[in-house]
Amino acid sequence: MSRRWVEQLHSSHPRYEQAAARLHDVLRRAALHELHRRRALLPSLAGPELDDVAQQCAHDAMLNVLARIDDFQGLSRFTTWAYKFVIFEVSSKLARHTWQRLPPSRTDPEWAELPDMAAGVRPGEQAENRERLGVLRNAIEQDLTPRQREVFVAIALNDVPIDVLALQLDSNRNAIYKNLFDARRKLRGCLAGAGYPLTDEEAQA
Amino acid sequence: MMDVRELDELLRAQEGDAGCDAGVPIMDQYVELELRGEDPSERFPGTAIHLRVCPGCRADHDGVLEAARRFGGVEPD
Repeated sequence: MSRRWVEQLHSSHPRYEQAAARLHDVLRRAALHELHRRRALLPSLAGPELDDVAQQCAHDAMLNVLARIDDFQGLSRFTTWAYKFVIFEVSSKLARHTWQRLPPSRTDPEWAELPDMAAGVRPGEQAENRERLGVLRNAIEQDLTPRQREVFVAIALNDVPIDVLALQLDSNRNAIYKNLFDARRKLRGCLAGAGYPLTDEEAQA
Repeated sequence: MMDVRELDELLRAQEGDAGCDAGVPIMDQYVELELRGEDPSERFPGTAIHLRVCPGCRADHDGVLEAARRFGGVEPD
C-alpha cells in the first residue's frame, strides 16, 4: 500500500492527479479532526474558519509530503508518515492563531504568582511549605538567567503554550524547551541545596 | 494547594530527555509501534521520556496517533 502511494505521487505517474487529490482529502479530514480535538485552545474559531484552517493545513502538508516523498523509507505506513506533516501544520497554525490573540499579560516576563503551597496543610507542614516556596521564589529571581526566568514563568506558571511562546520570542519549540529544562534543573538544584530536595535521589546526592 | 509531589511535577526535568527535535523524524514510527501494541520506549527511550513532560510534543503525538487510528491506512485508489 505504501509503495503504491509513493509511486502514484510522482508527477510522471498516470494516476498522480487522483492520488494527490485522495491524499489531500484525507489530510484535510485529519486536520479538521485535529482542530476539533484541540478546540479548547481556539474558542474564537467557528465552523467555516475551522474548515479554512483545515484546508490550509492540508495544502501545506501536501507540499511537504511531495517535497520529501523520496525521503520516505517505509519505516512506517505512508499514511502515518503523511499524517505527521498535517498534525505539525495544525500545531503551527494554532500557535500563530493563539499568539495573535493572546493577552500580553500571559507572556509578561515580570514576576508571576507561585501556586499556593501553604494552604490546607497542618501548621508544621505549612511552615515548611512556606520556606520551600521562599527558596523557590528566590531561586527564580536570582539563579535563573533572564531567558530561563521568562520561559519558566510563561510556561510553567502562566500556562502559555510552548509554541506560542516560541513565536513570541522569535525562537522555536526545541530551543524554548531547552531553556525550560535547564531552568527546572537549576531550580531543583537550588531547592536540594537549601535542604528541600524533591526526591529521595536528590536527598542522597 | 500544591504539595511536594506537584512541585516535583512542575519542575520535572528527567535525565535522558531527548528534547523536541529528536521526536520529529521518528513520530510516525513511534505511533505505529503503539498501534501494534509494542512499547515504543524500548526503541525510543529519550522520546518516551520527553513525551511525558512536553505538552507541545505530546499533543502532536496524540494527534498523529488519533489520525492513524481514525483514518487508518487508506489506499491511493
